[in-house]
Amino acid sequence: MWQTLKRHRYPYLFISPYLILFLVFQLVPTIATVYYSFTEWNGLRAPRWIGWRNYQLMMNDYMFSDAIRNTFRYWIVGAIGIMGLSLLIAMLLNSKVLRAKQFFRTATFLPYVCASVAMGLIFRMLFEEHAGLINEILLSLGGSRIPWLTSSAYAWIPVVILFVWRLTPWFTMIIFSGLLNISDEYYEAATVDGASGWQQFVRITLPLLNHILFFCFVTITVDAWRLFNESHILSGPGTSNTSLFELMYTSAFKNFKLGYGSALGVVLILILLGISLVQFMVRRRTGEI
Amino acid sequence: MSYKTKTVLRKSAVHALLWIIVAFCLFPVLWMSIISFKEVGESITGFNALRIQNPTLANYKRLFELIPIWTNLVNSAFTSIVGTVTTLFFCSLAGYAFAKFKFPGRNALFYFVIATMMISAEAGAVPLFVIMRRVGLVNSLWSLIIPRMATAIGIFYLRQYMLDVPDAILDSARIDGCGEFGIYRKVVLPIVKPALASWASITIIARWNDYFWPLLYLRDSSKYTLMVSVSMLPVSDGLSTPWQVVLSGTTLVIVPSIILYLIMQTYQKSGQVAGAVKG
Repeated sequence: MWQTLKRHRYPYLFISPYLILFLVFQLVPTIATVYYSFTEWNGLRAPRWIGWRNYQLMMNDYMFSDAIRNTFRYWIVGAIGIMGLSLLIAMLLNSKVLRAKQFFRTATFLPYVCASVAMGLIFRMLFEEHAGLINEILLSLGGSRIPWLTSSAYAWIPVVILFVWRLTPWFTMIIFSGLLNISDEYYEAATVDGASGWQQFVRITLPLLNHILFFCFVTITVDAWRLFNESHILSGPGTSNTSLFELMYTSAFKNFKLGYGSALGVVLILILLGISLVQFMVRRRTGEI
Repeated sequence: MSYKTKTVLRKSAVHALLWIIVAFCLFPVLWMSIISFKEVGESITGFNALRIQNPTLANYKRLFELIPIWTNLVNSAFTSIVGTVTTLFFCSLAGYAFAKFKFPGRNALFYFVIATMMISAEAGAVPLFVIMRRVGLVNSLWSLIIPRMATAIGIFYLRQYMLDVPDAILDSARIDGCGEFGIYRKVVLPIVKPALASWASITIIARWNDYFWPLLYLRDSSKYTLMVSVSMLPVSDGLSTPWQVVLSGTTLVIVPSIILYLIMQTYQKSGQVAGAVKG
């Protein structure tokens, strides 16, 4: 044992910082979160064990069901929006007839560089009910003002738009580099055989992008479940657009219900763990690792 | 339709669509910068926002009175730069070990890295805060740097590039009497420089834009990063700060990251960033 360690001391040494940091800042907090989730704790006195009470409370808490509903919306609408748009933009950028490629690539990537917090503030003003530009445009098109951030019914929409706006460039870039790897020969052969553009897209492009699209979907899923900045800055009335992660933050650090916040953290951990396992198994089966 | 008209049509359609997309990408940023130069009295309702009568720097002046901009800026720059440099160092070191060494438990450890890649530390925020308080890092900028000095995703990404470093070079360096750390520093790092550069640009922008952790750990305004200060602008001036002032704050946040991105863009070759994702 000692011999092996000594002989392979360099790789172990090189990996040890990661292992130590993981232990202290991920594994221990994760286990501790599970423990705290069974306690009542306001951060001042010692945590008091209350069994499953936090989880029972959660089941009857409308704020929790609101947060789950909202996060689900961000996930589904976000995934469809981001994947659809980034596939479209990537294909446009990869088009053979396109001039000034570098310019378009740089310009369409810019939203990803912009801080979501700053963009959230900007969106707050664009979506303002009485002075915002969005409603002004709606009015000039013959529509009526929509109380975007002041009504519970609409408050989730600006959040999801910001989420899609900011993340699309990242996935565009990933899909674009996937498109670069598809050999032109496939398309040439298909054209000779008389396949239409749509047929080529469905029969060649999509199957060959399979892995990449899956990777994108997994990443978007994780990003949606840990969404915080967008809904925190663009908060609507009550919990109308609160994300699960934001609810955890508010419960623990604003209302000082640290036990309940930890229980919400456990729910998040379980969801992320599930996603992680799925992607791990798929990657293994496709021989990627 | 002839083949030629078809190509022309197609070409204009592609360009038109892309211009529309570019407009959507750039508009909010342009709108923000225009308003930040408008006088507080001027109308910013709807389309009026886009017409400036008297461009002014008054909003920026007000902004500097409201929040300690320079201190916050230094805090943001410090955490972004030190955070990026340390994470590059430790991730590339571990990535190198996984890519180029054979040792007992390598595969198990690597699977472990991948399995933990998607799990975010945020879910354990409550105990993390307790740990940080225990080690005295609450209200310290190091609380933003230390936990992320080595991340699973960074190790995974850099390892993919290290795999391509030829073993023969490493072996000949060993024969020449170079130590293992020396090989990493003098042989491996120069070869994977492009990967390091692209990972650095992603990391530094992500750290600059970081919001949750600084919001959680930093307790007073002299320790805040720019992002936290700016996020509090709407309520910092009594009940409401004028939009013009808020937008001058967001301009100060966004413009440096855009400039940084454009600079790094000129150093990068295409397709590198997403290279770790295999098709």
